[in-house]
Amino acid sequence: MNIEQKKDGKALVLALAGRLDTVTAPELEAALNDALAGVEELTFDFEKLDYISSAGLRVLLSAQKTMNRQGSMKVIHANEMILEIFEVTGFADILTVE
Amino acid sequence: MSMIRIEHLRKEYPNATPLEDVCVEINKGDVISVIGPSGTGKSTLLRCLNRLEDPTSGKIFVDGEEITDPKCKMNLVRRKMGMVFQSFNLFDNLTVVENIMSAPVHLLKMPKQQAHEEALTLLDRVGLRDKAENFPSELSGGQKQRVAIARAIAMKPEILLFDEPTSALDPTMVGEVLSVIRSLAEEGMTMMIVTHEMKFARDVSNRVFYMDDGGIYEDGTPEQIFEHPEKERTRRFIKRLKTLEFEIADAEPDYPALLRALEQFGKSAMLSAQALRRTILVFEEIVMQGVLPKLRETQNGFPIRVSIEHSDADGSIAVSAVYGGARFDPLTDGDSLSATIAKKLAKRTDFAFDGENRIIAVI
Repeated sequence: MNIEQKKDGKALVLALAGRLDTVTAPELEAALNDALAGVEELTFDFEKLDYISSAGLRVLLSAQKTMNRQGSMKVIHANEMILEIFEVTGFADILTVE
Repeated sequence: MSMIRIEHLRKEYPNATPLEDVCVEINKGDVISVIGPSGTGKSTLLRCLNRLEDPTSGKIFVDGEEITDPKCKMNLVRRKMGMVFQSFNLFDNLTVVENIMSAPVHLLKMPKQQAHEEALTLLDRVGLRDKAENFPSELSGGQKQRVAIARAIAMKPEILLFDEPTSALDPTMVGEVLSVIRSLAEEGMTMMIVTHEMKFARDVSNRVFYMDDGGIYEDGTPEQIFEHPEKERTRRFIKRLKTLEFEIADAEPDYPALLRALEQFGKSAMLSAQALRRTILVFEEIVMQGVLPKLRETQNGFPIRVSIEHSDADGSIAVSAVYGGARFDPLTDGDSLSATIAKKLAKRTDFAFDGENRIIAVI
């Protein structure tokens, strides 16, 4: 998985590419631990993300909890498979998906 | 009543042993379809039965007479046993009716007039009376095979052996040949048919031999063999399964290597991108997120034996895992998020514990 970060003031965009799974979720978790301080607007751009498993969802959930305290979070450009996983797990109701 | 009894039949070739130890009885009126992968001795069994091949060892009895005894008069035995070959084996220089008359006239010493009349009656039965005076070269493949069947029954055999009777035919001609074989079955003729036509085997036979592993691996009714096969290889053959099996030996598997194996399997099984993603996801949720963390925590229960099976017959994909340790169902006792994803993506899940944990999810 590749993680591209774009920061503009208190807004952070994380563009993910590849697979967010058992192996790569810890990489995202580590990146978020380093990057979320002071961020008030977090965007996950999933345009190039092919696959997500529960391991990735847990990291998103943890980020959502942090951002509930600091500001807001949204997911954009998720593909059909990822949207389906959001739907069946109830994440579609927890996350802001655009 | 047993018409044929085979005892410990073995046939070896210099580089293969298709029949290791075949023991079976064939009853009068049995219609037996012989199915199985290539190279499992289906044709060899038939050819040993009418002694076109000499068995390496073992005995075959027909009507109580041992035909594997060197003193046995094979010509008399072969009259009881007609054989229909994949490649028809008609005499090209004889007309259709002469092909059928030949054996009764020469071997049974039947008067020519009677043999001619009976041949025409047989041609009626196979729907080819109007081709009586044609030569085989003027017939289609399906018509040639129907003539070959008429020729085989002209000798009034007690049993008919068919060696892949439709394999050399254009698909449009398979039906006409199968329909002749079907009508013989309905008349009570004892038959053994080596075939790849599964629907035909299911509809026409009262017994099916699934051949594999050096012999008749499973012998049962069509319902048993096609609907509830008891043995693993039969099941895989019938469901046309493509299978990927691997073991996770310890708590730190090489996940990227497993992913590559799964993707390679997806390609060879020609899964759609969506089906492959779902398969990988179900595997990841059940095994990588469910079973593995539990075994890692308890340091017990390895290896995890994983099997992914794709059925060409119904398109289903089954992800299953077998592992040791205490009873642990990842779909009820494991992480609920992983369990939700796996259960939502699967049409059916099942868990059993019989000393080992067994879980299966069918997508």
